[in-house]
Amino acid sequence: MKKGKLTSLMAVIMLLLLVATGCSSGNSAAPGGGTADTGKATTPGKLDKVTLQLKWLPQSQFMGYYVAKSKGYYKDAGIDLDILPGGSDIIPEQQVYNGVANIGVTWVSSLMKYQSKGWGLVQVGQIFQKSAMLLVSKASTGINSPADLKGKKVGSWFGGNEYEIYALLAANGLNKDTDLKLVQQDYTMNQLLKNEIDAASAMTYNEYGLLLESGLKDSDLHVINMNDAGVAMLEDCLFVNSDWIAKNQDLYVRFLKASIKGWADACADPAAAGKVVYDVDQSVSLSHQVYMAKEVAKLVVPKDFDPAKIGYIDPAAVKQTADLALKYGLLTKPAVISEDTVTSKYWEKATAK
Amino acid sequence: MKSKVMNLLWPLGFGIALILVWQLGIFHKILDLKPFQLPVPTEIASTLAANWPKALQDCGVTISGALIGMIIGSFIGFAIAAIATFFPKWGYGGMIVVTALNAVPIVALSPIMNLWFSTGMAQKIGVVTAVCMAAMAINAYSGLNSLNPYSIDLMHSVAANKWTIFRKLRLPNSLPYLFTASKINIASSIIAAIISEYFASSTSGLGFGIKDNLRKAEMAMGWSYIVVASLAGVILYCLILLVERDALKWHASQK
Repeated sequence: MKKGKLTSLMAVIMLLLLVATGCSSGNSAAPGGGTADTGKATTPGKLDKVTLQLKWLPQSQFMGYYVAKSKGYYKDAGIDLDILPGGSDIIPEQQVYNGVANIGVTWVSSLMKYQSKGWGLVQVGQIFQKSAMLLVSKASTGINSPADLKGKKVGSWFGGNEYEIYALLAANGLNKDTDLKLVQQDYTMNQLLKNEIDAASAMTYNEYGLLLESGLKDSDLHVINMNDAGVAMLEDCLFVNSDWIAKNQDLYVRFLKASIKGWADACADPAAAGKVVYDVDQSVSLSHQVYMAKEVAKLVVPKDFDPAKIGYIDPAAVKQTADLALKYGLLTKPAVISEDTVTSKYWEKATAK
Repeated sequence: MKSKVMNLLWPLGFGIALILVWQLGIFHKILDLKPFQLPVPTEIASTLAANWPKALQDCGVTISGALIGMIIGSFIGFAIAAIATFFPKWGYGGMIVVTALNAVPIVALSPIMNLWFSTGMAQKIGVVTAVCMAAMAINAYSGLNSLNPYSIDLMHSVAANKWTIFRKLRLPNSLPYLFTASKINIASSIIAAIISEYFASSTSGLGFGIKDNLRKAEMAMGWSYIVVASLAGVILYCLILLVERDALKWHASQK
């Protein structure tokens, strides 16, 4: 009898676990459909509601949207924009697909991954023209080139942020599993500062600045830049749900036009843009927001890039991202690059004179 | 015999029905989900089969951290309860501290431990230890002190000293409580270990696997880690039940 009790108890526990796990997935994806029906023709005085999901916390990385909002560019375009901050476990692709947000900011490599799994999402703008990803180490560690990473402890944020590093390692003949130790990095730079890891992932506009603020100088640091190493993948882009854009083309074009105007202003005067963002969210210091704004401006309008082309989707860069993603294991089959997955037509309309 | 079979068949049948409902996409219809959002059981199973060695290795990392942490935490918890029993005047302070520690959420504890320990394993053990201390301390304290008044009178009447009372009366009396604490702790230690891996500076373990895969759209892989975590939890829980059954043959709850 006791044995029977035990086995049935075991069965009940398994069941409860199944039910519990089943429910939890339901919750995370439950708010379906939502706010997709905003695309009516603008009636004067009535604003269309649009939500934008950021990839990360409110910071100068997204200054163009904040500047456009504070200057009333969205209002002028008949849009009431709600900006949703991101976080480590807020995934823009899932938020936009579920209808929590209409438009999202994410990295192209990550978006390609979701698209390849069947998620109906389409890239409709490219804000960062360059990769901001760096691998930073203290000069004393002696990492002068990617090959020196052999046998070292290297930090990454993972969750889709590791592929440029994978590409860097593979391109330099290093096996990511055996030649070095990759560890999860938190969102500070403490692990590097405390010498717990030898090299850390850093964005030019954020973590690198944290290192400088902690008292290190450029000369104390060795940097591997993904652009120089030829393994750059595209980062912050704009994307939407395919069903939503089908009904809201005009609305999106208006949004993009206002956003480009905001980005142009922000890049022309990053110090002011940093202040605008700081006024929205004081989570980091004003000086860090301004530092970030200056660095981000270099990504949005790189040297020799026409500011009138902000948001331009460079097909060659998209292709390089897709090729690297396939070559280094992010994708298992080649990314489908078509009008359904990445399109410039809204950007062309938004920038037409 | 018949009821034994029925006891097993009912939950089993219910479980199979649930998996079928899931497989046939009825959950997907109700919750308006696509299979790439919630993978079906066969896809999870085939993904798990294809990645079995890796999943097992990650499971080993998580479970060993959870068990080591649980043993250390339980030991400390018991020690605190014993001290509070022997020296009630000042020892009870430890109980209050450990109960207060219990109120700190794991999500807050994990990043803090990250600052203290440089490896993922040490951080995990630290978190699990902290989580497991309170349940053991509170239960053990009850077990060591909810004594039958006649038994303690008897002990006093034969002039037993504190240590003898502890060994002959309090310790056996506390045993069922210790198992209750272990059953609570085995579940919370796995949860704590998994959550700590969300923040740990390492890339092994079930927690990292769940988080990382769900973030980068590898839903089936994330779910196979969830399945492995559930199975490991169930197996460990049953192990504790088995040990309890053998160790507590004399106790009313096992008759």
